[in-house]
Formats: sequence, structure tokens, C-alpha cells
Amino acid sequence: MSIITTKNLSKEYSSKSFSKEKILALNNFSFEVESGEIFGILGPNGAGKTTLIKILLGITHRTKGEVKIFDNEINTEAYKMKVGYLPENHKFPNYLNGEQVMQFYGKMSGMSSADVRKKTDELLKLVDMEKWRKTKIKKYSKGMLQRLGLAQAMINDPELIFLDEPTDGVDPIGRKEIRDILEDLKERGKTIFLNSHLLSEVELICDRVAIMHKGSLVKSGRVDEITHISDNYIINCSDVSEVIMNKLMMNFKATILSINEFHFKTDNIDELNRLIDFMRQNNILIRGIQREKNTLENMFINLIGSQN
Amino acid sequence: MIFLTLVLSTFREAVAKKIFLGFFAISTLIILIFLFLINVESVEGMVDMMGAAGDEGIRKLVIGFEVAMIDISYLLIITFCLISVSSFIPSMLEKGNIDLLLSKPISRTNIILAKFTGGVMLVFFSLVYLIGFVWIILSSKSGFWHFPFLYTILWLTLSFAIIYSLIIFIGLVSQSTILSILVSFFLVFIVCPILYVREATIFSLVENNVVQFIINFFYYILPKPSDINKITTNIITGEEVSSYMPVFSSVLFMLAVLSASVFYFKKKDY
Ligand SMILES: Nc1ncnc2c1ncn2[C@@H]1O[C@H](COP(=O)(O)OP(=O)(O)OP(=O)(O)O)[C@@H](O)[C@H]1O
Ligand SMILES: [Mg+2]
Repeated sequence: MSIITTKNLSKEYSSKSFSKEKILALNNFSFEVESGEIFGILGPNGAGKTTLIKILLGITHRTKGEVKIFDNEINTEAYKMKVGYLPENHKFPNYLNGEQVMQFYGKMSGMSSADVRKKTDELLKLVDMEKWRKTKIKKYSKGMLQRLGLAQAMINDPELIFLDEPTDGVDPIGRKEIRDILEDLKERGKTIFLNSHLLSEVELICDRVAIMHKGSLVKSGRVDEITHISDNYIINCSDVSEVIMNKLMMNFKATILSINEFHFKTDNIDELNRLIDFMRQNNILIRGIQREKNTLENMFINLIGSQN
Repeated sequence: MIFLTLVLSTFREAVAKKIFLGFFAISTLIILIFLFLINVESVEGMVDMMGAAGDEGIRKLVIGFEVAMIDISYLLIITFCLISVSSFIPSMLEKGNIDLLLSKPISRTNIILAKFTGGVMLVFFSLVYLIGFVWIILSSKSGFWHFPFLYTILWLTLSFAIIYSLIIFIGLVSQSTILSILVSFFLVFIVCPILYVREATIFSLVENNVVQFIINFFYYILPKPSDINKITTNIITGEEVSSYMPVFSSVLFMLAVLSASVFYFKKKDY
């Protein structure tokens, strides 16, 4: 079942005040997000990722197109009770401490004081910010603010969470922790919609992704489909003689890269083993065999490169 | 509930910005001065002397103090409170803050109204503190419990609310604290006082009907805090108030500016 559906969503910003010139931040953008999945939007700077999230939350008004989320209109209180949001570069009132930030946004989400208190304890523990709860947030580091921001986005136990660059400024261990939190949310049936630049990360966590460029959808699909494993093997070995090199090219159609590295393409595992036997018989040491993977990053760079 | 949370957050913000504390410090100082004054021999002597002239004498003395307090409070409210609330809207509109606020289950209309209510309540409570204490001190010393003085709290709050509505509008459109302060000070300290005395000053110099009409036009559409202060003084001294037009037209101005703010805020992309 799809939770978010958009049809031909477009957004024009006027580029300057008093000017007729327009920036097309979203251009006939149609996509769907399924209930219970982690959905990632990828795209270069200025692609329109943040604009898309803001339209889905009613922060920015769409120029044209249709949006359906749950069965609510965007600008209703019933809808906003069900969502959580972590804005990019969020700025909480800096005279509050961590706990007060949670309480303020919890109450702003329509929760009772008792619920807010309970959730605050639970979430600050989850994002590992418990010992900082009484510290004014102006003393927080960037990663600490981001953790608090994530906790804030979950305060009202939302069905659907929008995260704009959730791991921005967070160290590798923190990023792993955030991924675990998101996995856990997914297990509890929540839907997560996120923007990120960190492609390796999106690859690790998202079920489906959409790649956008200049406001348009370039490609979308399951991560494992987009990053399918190829049948190309990279083989590292000890230095080989010219004779052997020729045989590798003639008999096995290998692509020689250097005196100790070559590529071998096959979809038959027996072929690969025959090659290994041949190398061993000729006293060549095999240092490593690797199956090449089409990473999201390669894919992204190729796609965006071809668009420009 | 959500509305109330936002109203209360404006209190917290005002306290966090130290300017508002300045208001409390000065109010407290004024209250202490009053306490000190009424225990000084010479003032006691004055009270006794006026007392000798009968109740009427004490009455005059108390009312004299009260009228002075109106001007002092007005000046304090305009400077300290106005400056401290003028950053409410620009700081709310900062990127990363407004986005999150707009994703919460509260309508844009209510966000503006909550900010407005928060600022007005802030000033109301401040005035209750300042005027209330001064009233208690004056009354307990003189034995003359002059209740009309307490209306000053409401009148000054109203004056503030009218100017605050303009601050909200300018803050929304310009997102600039400084500009909000400058425009409101220009209005309150220059334009309004001049328009208030326009008949005695400008009109005696310029007899051109068209110019007079234009100046009158501005007088009628702009808020009239000076007239409202005069009305407040009249009420306290027991003189007759000739016309409440300045109050009604100022309130109308406030409602129009608030509606414009809500309209603008609803249309805008953040
Ligand atoms: N309020 C605004 N007024 C005018 N133009 C805007 C506004 N917000 C965004 N834009 C423009 O819309 C386009 C898309 O911006 P958006 O912030 O959605 O990009 P993004 O994909 O989130 O980029 P990034 O990865 O850098 O965060 C940009 O060209 C930007 O200049
Ligand atoms: Mg962005």
C-alpha cells in the first residue's frame, strides 16, 4: 500500500523579488512511497530534494500537481499529528537545553505533558544524549545537535518520518547508530523518507531510492536492482610473463590491466575455476579475486554525468 | 494546548533575551524609589500638609503621582518591551526553525495569534507588576484607594498591542529586527506625536486645504497612542473624555494589520 503518492508535482520559485524569472525546483515529479519502507531521495546540490520534503509537509506551497499522503490533506492537523520531521540545518531556540527542546516540540505536536516526559527519557537514551539533557544546546557540537534533532523527529511516535540529511555532521559510529535506529523504526512498521548525499549510506539502509536532477526524476527503483552485481571479476596476482599474458587474453578473453592485475568476465563459475587452475599450474600466486559491484555511487555519477 | 505552548515559549524567549530583564530591573527600581519616598520626612510632611487641606489635597497629590506614572510606564513599555518583542518574528522565521514549526499541527493563523497573544500578555503582566505595586504603595500610604489608576494597565497594554501588531507585520515582511524597531520608534516618537498636535503646529503654518486633508488622513488611519495616553489621563483625573474615536480607529488599525500579517504568512513559502 502506498503512503505517499505525487502526480506531476511542480514548484516554481521566483528567483529574485520583483523579478519575473523563475527557478523550476520541481518539474512534474511523480513517485510513490510504500508503507513501511525506507525511501531515499538522492540528487546533487540544488536538485530539489529539500523542496520536495517541504511541499510534502505543507511548508512550501506547490505550484501544480497532486499529492496524496495517508488519506489526509497536507495542511490538516490530523495529518501533522502523524508525521515527524528533521529539517536540514535545523535551528532550535538556543536558550533551551536538550530536554526542554524535546518538551517544547513534543507539546507542539499535541502531546500531553506526561507522554512528553516519558518519550523524552526514552528517546534521549536511544540517541545517547542522556548525559547532555541539562546542557544548553548552544554548547552542543554539530553531531550532538543532529542526534537531538533525530530524537525530536520521533517524539510523537509518528507513522511517517521525513529526515533531511539525518547523518550530516555525525561521526561514523554515530552514523551506524542512526542507521540502527532507522532499521528499528522500520521493524516497528514506520515509514521513513530521507534525503542524503552519502550514497554508501543510502545503499546500506534504503529499500528504494529515487534519483533526481534539476527537479526531475531520473531513475527510481529498489536499491538491489539498481546496484546489481556484475559478472566481472578483478584478479590480482604475482607478476606474470608475456607468454602467460597472451594465453590469458587468447584462451580466457581476459582484459589485462597491468603485469599483476586483470579483469575476467564470465557468468559460469566453472570457467572461473578453470582460469584459477591454469594460473596455479603456471606457478602464479593469486593475491585476490573480487567480484565487481555496480555501486550506487558509480551509478549516480554516470547518471548525473550523462544528464549534464 | 499547542497554542498555549507557543504563547508560553514567547515568555521564555523574552526572558532569555536580557532586554526584558532590564524592564524588570527598572520597574523594581521605580517601586523601591516610591517605597523610599513615602518614608522620607519631607514627603511625609507634604502628605500631612496636603492632608491638612482635607481629603481633596491628598487626592490631588496621589493623582499627580499617578499621571506621572502613566508617562513613565509608557516610555518603559515602548523602549524595553517593544525592543524585546521585535525579534520574536524574525527569530521565528530563521531557516531551520520555521520549517519545523510549520510541520507541527497548528495553523499559520494560530502561530501569528499565539505570538501576538504572548507579547501582549508579557506586557500585561509587566504592567500589573509595575502599576500594581506603585498603586498599592500610594494607596496604603495615603489611605486613598484610587481604583481608576488600575485601568492604566489595560490602556497601556492596548497601546502596546496596537504598535506590536505593526512590529509583527514588518517582521514578517522584512525578517529584520532592526527595521521593526526603527519603523515603530519612528512612528511612536515622531509621526504620532506630531500628528497628535497637528492642529496647533502644522496647521497654523500650512493653510493649504489639500495638505491639511492629507495630514488628517494619516492621522485618522494611523494608530494614536498619544491620544490614548490623554484619554487614560482624563479617566484618572476624572475629566470628561471628549471622544473615544482614537481608541476605535487604533483598534481598527491593529485588526487590519494583523489580518494582513496572517494573509501574508499563509501565502509565503519557507
Ligand atoms: N525559498 C526559495 N526561494 C527561491 N529559490 C529557492 C528557495 N528554496 C530553494 N530554492 C531553489 O530551488 C532549488 C532546489 O533547492 P533545494 O533546497 O530543494 O535543493 P536540495 O536538493 O535540497 O539541495 P542540497 O543538497 O544542497 O540540500 C535550488 O535551485 C534553490 O536555489
Ligand atoms: Mg537540501
